[in-house]
Amino acid sequence: MKAPLKVICSFVFLLLSALLFSSFDKGGSKTIKIVFPYKQAGLTERQAAAHLLSRFTYGAKSGDVDRVLKMGLEKWFQQQLDGNIKNESLDKMLDQYEDINLTNSEVENKYPRQAKVVRMAIRDGFVNKDSVGKGDQKAYRKQLQDYMAANGLKPEGELLRQFINQKILRAAYTNNQLHELLTDFWFNHFNVSLTKNQCASFVPAFERDVIRPNVTGKFQNLLMATAKSPAMLVFLDNFTSTGEQGATTSIEDMQMGEKLKPVALKRLKQLQNKKKAGGLNENYAREVMELHTLGVDGGYTQNDVTQAARVLTGWTLAPMGTDGYGAAMEKVIEKVGEANLQKRGFVRNGDFLFVPTRHDNGEKTVLGKKFAAGGGYEEGVELLSMLAHHQSTAKFISKKLATRFVNDHPAQKLVDKMANTFNSSDGDIKQVMIAMVSSPEFWTSDALREKTKSPFELAMSAVRSLDAEITQPYQLFSWINKMGQKMYYYQAPTGFPDRGQYWINTGSLLNRMNFGLALASQRIPGIKINLSSLNNNHEPESAEAALLTYGKLIMPERNLEETVKRLKPMLNDPELVSKVEKAAAKAPIAQPEVQMKEESGDMMMAGLNKERPRRNANAVQLANGNNTMLAQVVGVIIGSPEFQRK
Amino acid sequence: MTSRRGFLKAGGLALFGIGLGGVPGFLMDAVAGTKPLGLFKRRKIMVCIFQRGAMDGLMAVTPFTDQYLKAARPTLFMSAAKGSAVKPLIDLDGRFGLHPSMAGFESVFRDKRMAIVHGIGSPNTTRSHFDAQDYMESGTPFKKGTETGWLNRAVGLLGHDAATPFQGVSLTSSLPRSFYGDNPAVAISNLQDFNIQMRGNIKGANLAAKSFEDLYDQTSSGLLKETGKESFDAIKMLQKTDTKNYKPANNAIYPNTSLGNSLKQIAQLIKMDVGMEVAFAESGGWDTHFNQGTDTGIFARNVNDLSESIIAFWTDMGTLQDDVTVMTMTEFGRTVKQNGTGGTDHGRASCNFILGNAVKGGLVHGTINPLAIENLEDGRDLAVTTDFRSVFSEVADRHLGISNDKVLFPDWNGNKIGVMS
Repeated sequence: MKAPLKVICSFVFLLLSALLFSSFDKGGSKTIKIVFPYKQAGLTERQAAAHLLSRFTYGAKSGDVDRVLKMGLEKWFQQQLDGNIKNESLDKMLDQYEDINLTNSEVENKYPRQAKVVRMAIRDGFVNKDSVGKGDQKAYRKQLQDYMAANGLKPEGELLRQFINQKILRAAYTNNQLHELLTDFWFNHFNVSLTKNQCASFVPAFERDVIRPNVTGKFQNLLMATAKSPAMLVFLDNFTSTGEQGATTSIEDMQMGEKLKPVALKRLKQLQNKKKAGGLNENYAREVMELHTLGVDGGYTQNDVTQAARVLTGWTLAPMGTDGYGAAMEKVIEKVGEANLQKRGFVRNGDFLFVPTRHDNGEKTVLGKKFAAGGGYEEGVELLSMLAHHQSTAKFISKKLATRFVNDHPAQKLVDKMANTFNSSDGDIKQVMIAMVSSPEFWTSDALREKTKSPFELAMSAVRSLDAEITQPYQLFSWINKMGQKMYYYQAPTGFPDRGQYWINTGSLLNRMNFGLALASQRIPGIKINLSSLNNNHEPESAEAALLTYGKLIMPERNLEETVKRLKPMLNDPELVSKVEKAAAKAPIAQPEVQMKEESGDMMMAGLNKERPRRNANAVQLANGNNTMLAQVVGVIIGSPEFQRK
Repeated sequence: MTSRRGFLKAGGLALFGIGLGGVPGFLMDAVAGTKPLGLFKRRKIMVCIFQRGAMDGLMAVTPFTDQYLKAARPTLFMSAAKGSAVKPLIDLDGRFGLHPSMAGFESVFRDKRMAIVHGIGSPNTTRSHFDAQDYMESGTPFKKGTETGWLNRAVGLLGHDAATPFQGVSLTSSLPRSFYGDNPAVAISNLQDFNIQMRGNIKGANLAAKSFEDLYDQTSSGLLKETGKESFDAIKMLQKTDTKNYKPANNAIYPNTSLGNSLKQIAQLIKMDVGMEVAFAESGGWDTHFNQGTDTGIFARNVNDLSESIIAFWTDMGTLQDDVTVMTMTEFGRTVKQNGTGGTDHGRASCNFILGNAVKGGLVHGTINPLAIENLEDGRDLAVTTDFRSVFSEVADRHLGISNDKVLFPDWNGNKIGVMS
């Protein structure tokens, strides 16, 4: 497909302005001097490095503190912001997931939803429509499976599993940790959810193409990319939003004086009438202001929401896949011709399509700014740009970043500083991050260890600190879900609340403790650790020594005095230790924690029908030097309150 | 908070704390399996069941005298008349018939303990499962960004402190949208999992539990300390009863289904007096586009599970029935006309069931007009004549004493319809 001239032009413009900017920037951006004021806060360089690692990685690995010191704190942070360190071993691991790089169209073709498979199988005469849901369900399912296999189709659950696995592996192993954290942050900020079936299959590409490349760039680019993405268009319903009858471009206008072929005209009419229910849908317009840019107190009214929704009518999905969304529209485009459509104000940009016959052509006013009648696609771009540059947005985004990276209730002074940087740098996320870490507020005792790890962060920091080898990432997903964070399944567009108060409750806390015990005692299948080699194969001489050594390895630069004091008496009870050892000898080997449920229409129901693992009668000794008492100590450290903090 | 802590200590339940060096007390057999300990004064409990997938209300409770319905559903229409090959509907009032697989509901309906609301649904006309469930659970049918769920707000409006971590309980693996929010609510898929676990190694688990309790007790983080304490209290509470070998009262038999197991565990929590006031469970498989069947088939199996599970729960409650109200809900109903594959597609209104001793029972509430095309929403669907919020708010009000509708259902100012007496 030819890239529209407009895109090329704007690219050239961006390139030019980037060149101009850097040539006038004295010394270039590389030498911007950053200084982290940790000494003023009374921290040693080691402590500061540990704090940096705890906030901008998924947990320090052993030796990380020394590596950061060697490189220099500021330099390390800049390198993380640049985020282009090579990841050869990770890339190799990701190679096993062949479908994580599919485009939306390819996904539509390869992973049709169950209902569509049934329709296709009926259409192709593979399944008799009268037999659906009747009689032998097993045989029926087998029939469908055979049909899918014969046509190279796979169940959507497989795609989602690969997608979830890649996220876990990246978080555990990427060298560009901060980019990974920011990907998580921005995904959550622009949350879309796998619970909404209609958009689930677009979510992998959303993270990969919309979020990931933009996490340290200009906020405006991120906003624009999300607004035009199929996942967001469907999740917040904007793809259905249509101008009122009479307000949209008529077919007569579409003719533009030329005579279109009757068949093309007919197709155009179909396009216009496609969504008979249609009408204005305000969902996206509301949330883009409330959740993505201005914030709930950002100073907009219901009328602004309605007007903005009118501005964004006609923003929808381009056809994708042979039997996928908008296959009918593809025919329209074929018949009418791409050039003809462009001339008439259609804009096609990857999976995005602007349809002028569904766009409200009238005049609108949003937040006091007038959008003259007939603005077409461009007025939507203008609106989003205005929102991205609004004062309220600068504050809202700054506060959210500070809440994620500094503490749950960031100081106003810090937020103001970041917002100023946001304003003066055209919403440059990288600059805002630098402003944040260069502020004294980042280093005070109000920030140190004050954040609570999310379940995902807890699991990742545990596997990272133990240098675990992950062969079945999905096992971790199940645990993370149990601990209260079903990743990618948060239903509300708000995303997970990023507060310790939300993560810590009775049920989830117990599961955190159980996770520590299960991980350290090697009872999570597909997660291998070697506690002995972690300590260079030195066996600790006593339980107390184990506690100290491994405490330091797992939680560098933390004060372990209290932990040791509390645990020592118990660990030194020889009788107890031998009892535990004896009991453990009878323990079963690792079994899958959660039986994976095959694809089901009821996403919320998944995981309800767990099978309890059977007990293995054979006594099994734990492998290579992971003695039980040591595993117990490490498990307790991971489940301890200190390890829940970052 | 203080009152509970005080009670726990005074009641000798802090055995745990003196177990140092030996086996912690909380697992001691001596106290397990005995009668409920009555930690909390039992309050009223509202049990909500979400039927995900959209139940065909017109087949669950059929206006069987309606000739339009009969014409629209050539193979799905069921009648109350005896003598045909298909089992007849249970005639409730000469106009509505209960699906024969829900025979369990008949006696509670006749006893006026069960009410049915027909024509219930959301003012938002979306026919997307996701959107409709989302709106029903947030309780704000025109606003996606609402952070909290209506059940979580209900917990916040109970008017007394959360003395227990179990004030709101969802028998699901993760917290449902209905429970999103800052008030206490836990998701538990299996009561037996609520413990410190090291499979096959009870001694190790005990030691770990002791270690954890001590560590959480000393941490400088208030949040972790407080929640840690609650967690161990909760374990102790649950350990008081033998959850594994639970025997329902009055020979109640729960179906061995996901819903049956959920309701069984809700019953256990109620009897244990853990302070639960709002409970939530789910039932799936209602999206019957293909061959939904009549007296047998998918739909019949589903309503059978629904009614048998609820009736088992009700029977099990026995003398506690006054404390409990059960309410079902589903995101929308299904098309009046059957589709080309022996099923029904996404529609608008459905019906729901409310069971309790203070229910204005024995009636089919709400308004259903003859299903002539001009009476249908968009010319195809059973019209929504009762906003779900008017029913939910009334049940919450009359059963739990929650009268602040402005908070429970912001942006709503409709009227209640008198489903509670």
